[in-house]
Amino acid sequence: MSLAFRFALREMRGGLRGFRVFLACLALGVAAVAAVGSVKTAIATGLSDQGRAILGGDAELRLTYRRATAEERAEVDALVGDVSEIVDFRSMAVATSRISGEVERGLTQVKGVDANYPLYGEVALDPPMPLAEALAGGDLPGLVMERVLIDRIGLEIGDEVRLGTGQFRLMATLVAEPDSVSAGFGLGPRIIVATEALDGSGLLGEGSFYESALRIRLDADADLDGLKERFVDDTEAAGWRWRDRRNGAPGVQRFVDRMAAFLVLVGLAALAVGGVGVSSAVRSYLAEKTETIATLKTIGAPGNGVFAIYLIQIGVLTLLGVAIGLLIGSGLPALIGPAFEDVLPVPALFSIYATPMVEAAVYGTLTALLFTLWPLARTRQVRAAALFRDIAAPSRALPAKRDMAFMAIVLVALVAAALVFSGAPVLAAWFLAGVAGALATLWLVSKGVGLVAARLARSSLPRGRPGLRLALASLGGPGGEATGAALSLGLGLTVLAAIGQVDYNMRSVISDQLPQEAPAFFFVDIQNDQLDPFLNDAKAVNGVAEIATAPMLRGVISALNGVPAAVAREQVDPAARWVLNGDRGVSYASAPPPGAVLTAGDWWAADYDGPPLVSFSAEEGAELGLKIGDTISVNILGRDITATIANFREIDWRGMGINFLLILDPGAMAGAPHTHIATVHAAATSEAPLLREVGGAFPNVTAIRVRDAIDRVSSGLSDLAAASRWGAGAVLITGLVVLIGSAAAGQRGRSYESAILKTLGASRGRILGSFALRAGLVGAAAGLVAIGFGSAAAWAVITFVMDSPFQFHLPTALMVVLGGAAASLLAGLIFAWGPLATRPAQVLRARE
Amino acid sequence: MSQPAFALKDVRLSLNAKSGPVDILKGIDLTVDPGASVGIVGPSGSGKSSLLMIMGGLERATAGEVRALDANLTAMDEDALARFRRDNMGIVFQSFHLIPTMTAIENVAAPLELAGANDAFERAAEELAMMGLAGREQHYPAQLSGGEQQRVALARAAAPRPKILLADEPTGNLDSATGAVIVDALFELQQRHGATLIMVTHAPALADMCQRTIRIEDGRAVEASAKTGLAAE
Repeated sequence: MSLAFRFALREMRGGLRGFRVFLACLALGVAAVAAVGSVKTAIATGLSDQGRAILGGDAELRLTYRRATAEERAEVDALVGDVSEIVDFRSMAVATSRISGEVERGLTQVKGVDANYPLYGEVALDPPMPLAEALAGGDLPGLVMERVLIDRIGLEIGDEVRLGTGQFRLMATLVAEPDSVSAGFGLGPRIIVATEALDGSGLLGEGSFYESALRIRLDADADLDGLKERFVDDTEAAGWRWRDRRNGAPGVQRFVDRMAAFLVLVGLAALAVGGVGVSSAVRSYLAEKTETIATLKTIGAPGNGVFAIYLIQIGVLTLLGVAIGLLIGSGLPALIGPAFEDVLPVPALFSIYATPMVEAAVYGTLTALLFTLWPLARTRQVRAAALFRDIAAPSRALPAKRDMAFMAIVLVALVAAALVFSGAPVLAAWFLAGVAGALATLWLVSKGVGLVAARLARSSLPRGRPGLRLALASLGGPGGEATGAALSLGLGLTVLAAIGQVDYNMRSVISDQLPQEAPAFFFVDIQNDQLDPFLNDAKAVNGVAEIATAPMLRGVISALNGVPAAVAREQVDPAARWVLNGDRGVSYASAPPPGAVLTAGDWWAADYDGPPLVSFSAEEGAELGLKIGDTISVNILGRDITATIANFREIDWRGMGINFLLILDPGAMAGAPHTHIATVHAAATSEAPLLREVGGAFPNVTAIRVRDAIDRVSSGLSDLAAASRWGAGAVLITGLVVLIGSAAAGQRGRSYESAILKTLGASRGRILGSFALRAGLVGAAAGLVAIGFGSAAAWAVITFVMDSPFQFHLPTALMVVLGGAAASLLAGLIFAWGPLATRPAQVLRARE
Repeated sequence: MSQPAFALKDVRLSLNAKSGPVDILKGIDLTVDPGASVGIVGPSGSGKSSLLMIMGGLERATAGEVRALDANLTAMDEDALARFRRDNMGIVFQSFHLIPTMTAIENVAAPLELAGANDAFERAAEELAMMGLAGREQHYPAQLSGGEQQRVALARAAAPRPKILLADEPTGNLDSATGAVIVDALFELQQRHGATLIMVTHAPALADMCQRTIRIEDGRAVEASAKTGLAAE
């Protein structure tokens, strides 16, 4: 056994005293990263494992606005075995409520299915029965409905429900549908009916907005790529969109990936905060060992030997800390995750996964190494005599160049690991830059606080205020304790401040800004011949203030300046890619919409009758690199219309008015079947009569209550905010552990100080006041930096990621500063109790 | 006759060690007149430093009564003891015990500030100058030699003009030349302000400089010498 190893083991016989904070910091950080990684892997595995059930087939061909023609269906049928067709659309469920006794209406997302549905998985109903039996109904065709809608309308099983003009009987509660995840975001609860029973309901008429899909069952070894190429190539013009079991819910997968990337970064922040704790734990451990190190050097131990002795000790402890972290971070999700599998909105397979454990272990080891090397390397630099002097006041020697180089290598490895493992390198790079910036600023600020405190201590300010002088002296004097506490607390608070501001801004975007301008209802699928009677009926309702309507179609942008959308998508600003994905609302008008602001170009003449022209959104146009005179091809109902850009319009999407990315000249759309959309502003008391009046007269028209839609979106966002808060919680807990650690490490010094002060005649209250003051000052300084950096980070997220105006929220910010000061104060006071309670003689004698 | 500077009656001290309670002081009776200088001597571990700590209110006697300037220290709580020291005592230790985060002048001014003196810094500067430390006011303890640190400690003890000076082996950490300077300064201070000086020391020569010498043996006090015939039991 090497000499260094033997010495290291001898040193460790004393137990882990002084390393509890080291272990806690490292374990918490590693646990946070491992837990996030494990949950992410569990969801990814769940999604891919159940890809077929989620998608509802091995592959899916999706159409907008129409169903497959007989020829198309025959072509698909000829190729493969089982095929199931579904249609999906929004509608209103209308029924007489058992609660109010009146006719009530509820927005719903209807899925029409055939006898083959579902190809994979099971539909769970209550009372339990086969889906086919439920949909067959009895005297009327049957339907099944989610519990939330049954309760909202006030129904019982067996009641009659109207969809459009079709009558159905509610046969069962829909408990679970296997393909719900891939359906994406619906504004209303689900109803399932047999598609054939919708005939004559007026809901799948020409121009109505619905989607249909052919789901296909394939052999396990089927050539998915070959099939995809064949179908998409053959039928792109017809509007086919392809998905297969390999990624049944790309939207969900993307969301989970992004969320996980974000949370992993928050986990890394916890690790960075923990790193500060690791560093200060190592520093105070080495400070206690200063005499031992000096003695070892005196009796002939070389610097490298001393370095090795302590590196081995810290290495062993790092392994222990990482192991504890992995145990908690991977074990806990695997243990308690299965209990939540049914409650989670996405499928997840909880287990112990190796990849996230390896990633967390790498992060943890590199972080511990990085933050340990600095204090450790200093011991090699300092001469034995100076070390003895170090007992009284730490020296400021820098580590040797090769140690600095080693630290640089570790740092680069850590950054590389974060960039690779996070799966979002750009986000990770920004995040790491932010953490580094925050740490550097906090370090500078803590040094600044020290300098200012030292200067103030010598000014006339603390004259006659010994408590203040004491606090200032301990912050500004040699071995001042400001740095460690400021770094750990400050970084934790920065993350919290950022999340607080982002949270506030997200909430205010939906809840504060919208309702003042937003209409009460959107009405969609108003047929051409219904438009005038609809307007008359709606205007007749008391309290209805303003109605706006526009013709509406849906189309897919198929080319920009002749370049196919699939190619253009790879070339444009990522922020504008959504424009080229899926179908978009399209309208036509002879005059600009009221209030429209043209940023370039002119509107066409009211009687324009030339080649197609289009008015395009200014912001998205700029992002796509479009200019006046460029062409956009839109595929509407299988027909490509290529229009020249006549002007750009400013669109405020948050306004919730009728906004279209594309508005064509009326001539371009001549003859295309379409419906109308209407927005109605109405007093809150008029909402119910309006819904009753319009819903009764136009059963095929779907009403979307804006307030409900906002609530639905808000609840999605609050889930997101909750996840962020959990992440911030992990950072803050680590920050608190570090804070408590540094307070505990400073206890010895404070005991001594308190004993001397008592000897000189200071009362306990005065000493406590001084301790409180210095802790509060450090906390407040850390809080102020946190506000600055946290708000800057939040501004970047809101401005660049959420594309929204940023609003600084003072109360949230103040809470962070006060919380920081309070946490620092509390930790300081808890650890002041011991020193204050100890008799001076005990402490002073120990120092003799 | 004026009230005694110290009156100790049957003072006992037991400290808890791992092996059980250890009796350090086993019944000390001692009266010290105001303005007297008393040397306390005895072998290592005899309890002389513990006696000094009890006289300074830094340690609480397990039994017995300690009166200083007619105030009953045994009946006071920690804060009352601190106030009593602030107003009446200056203490010098073997290890100096300066506050490491404060400069020399801040250390000396600290007790004056605690007592609410408006001219704390002016007086502290004077005390330091008298100790030959003019120009070292802004140095931190770690930047001073052992002798300089002890002179700062002495200045700190003397600055509030205490009626009682307690010194626990004040030259124990210093070489003989530096020690002699400190001792001269200490006695000079005592005489200048007419303070009562209680000094624990290992050095017989130092004890001989005091008017009285008390020897502590096995936790009990024995009068070793009394040059001026001051009262002693």
